[in-house]
Amino acid sequence: MSRETYEAPNTGSGSRAPALGRGNAESALGGEGPATQYKCGDCNAQMKLKRGDPIRCLDCGHRVLYKERTKRMVQFEAR
Amino acid sequence: MARNTIIPSQVVIEQRKRVGIQLETVTNVSGTDFPGNYPDEDHAWDVIKFAENFKVEFHTLAPWDASFSLIGLDASVANAFRRILIAEIPSLAIEWCFVNNNTSIIQDEVLAARLGLVPFTGNRVGLLDFLKWYKKPAEGEEKVEGTDYNTVVLDLQIECTHNKDAARNERDPLKKYNNAHVYARDIKFIPFGRQAEHFSGENAIRPTNPDILLAKLRPGQVIDIQMHAIKGVGSDHAKFSPVATASYRLLPTIDILRPILGQDAVKFKKCFPAGVIGLETVTKKEAAQKGSGYEGHEGEKKAVVFDAMKDTVSRECLRHEEFNKKGEEKVKLGRVRDHFIFSVESVGQWNSDEMFLESIRHLRTKCESLKADLADLKMKGT
Repeated sequence: MSRETYEAPNTGSGSRAPALGRGNAESALGGEGPATQYKCGDCNAQMKLKRGDPIRCLDCGHRVLYKERTKRMVQFEAR
Repeated sequence: MARNTIIPSQVVIEQRKRVGIQLETVTNVSGTDFPGNYPDEDHAWDVIKFAENFKVEFHTLAPWDASFSLIGLDASVANAFRRILIAEIPSLAIEWCFVNNNTSIIQDEVLAARLGLVPFTGNRVGLLDFLKWYKKPAEGEEKVEGTDYNTVVLDLQIECTHNKDAARNERDPLKKYNNAHVYARDIKFIPFGRQAEHFSGENAIRPTNPDILLAKLRPGQVIDIQMHAIKGVGSDHAKFSPVATASYRLLPTIDILRPILGQDAVKFKKCFPAGVIGLETVTKKEAAQKGSGYEGHEGEKKAVVFDAMKDTVSRECLRHEEFNKKGEEKVKLGRVRDHFIFSVESVGQWNSDEMFLESIRHLRTKCESLKADLADLKMKGT
């Protein structure tokens, strides 16, 4: 079975599975909420994504993104 | 009835002190010089006797590396010093890491553990006298704020960038990027309060070995960690141990029982590390001596023990038939039971010899507290 013909289990028969992120979810939630900073796993570009945005690098289209590390201090014992 | 005490001859005493080293066994391991073991001999421990026989000889004495012999000591005492050196003498090490940012591939907790193991040095008076213990809060208790006399603040801030001056086809990351490697020397000491009086300029607190590799970075990666170092003891964590090695070995002995001559002597020399066995020529006088085994061998080479202390006691010579034939052994290996060759290597905060004296002081305070406790016990008993 090729990728195009694959059907996600809960979308019902016949209808094409929606593209990742965009589609049903966005229309329902409208992409509001705070934007989070992400980094592309391939080209290291910075981008801000909101809820419902496609998980994709805006520059290169890579689908692996990384969250930024917390800005808070983290304490460790040196042992 | 008072019996006369027998005083054994020096030869006998020396013989009793020897540990025998055979091809596959070690004999005569434990000491026999305790009261009641030899009838009519006095082996009660006595301070004056001990002081008469006890000797200290220094072999090397560098600030951070000392080697010396303690002669006429019991193994239990020598071992007590060794254990105190490793586990009970205080030294400074990083205990807390406050990670503000770390985007390198080495994880925070792993980096923190590495930072803890970095040994530090600095002004000795400041480290040993000015800096005091930081009393750690008990489980569940709030952490007490450190002060300038018990906490040392250190900082590691480093970012890797592209080196603009590097050649286009440069493959070496150290040249291609700035700060590709993070070394111990990148840790900066931040004095506060009265610490500047003791630790400034040359006397600043710094890593003993500046070239310890802590992490590797690539462009864009950042490490920003603040660290608090406190004094601790090795029994709590090995990072607080002030010694790299503190060990002792017994003085090896090599006795040549029958002459080893000619080619055999050369082979015998090769059985030992360099400098242990030397070659000498058999003199006319020796050759003339009847029953010496040198008769008719004038001018030949013979094996002589130069420095048994350098021997590693590998027992290689015992494997060869010509030296260890049953019934006509030519060599006898051994060790002296009460001759301890100490080697104390400091990691930077103490001078090695000073540290050993400190271990004696520690043992003394332990004995005194035990004595006080025993006196207390006696009073309670009556």
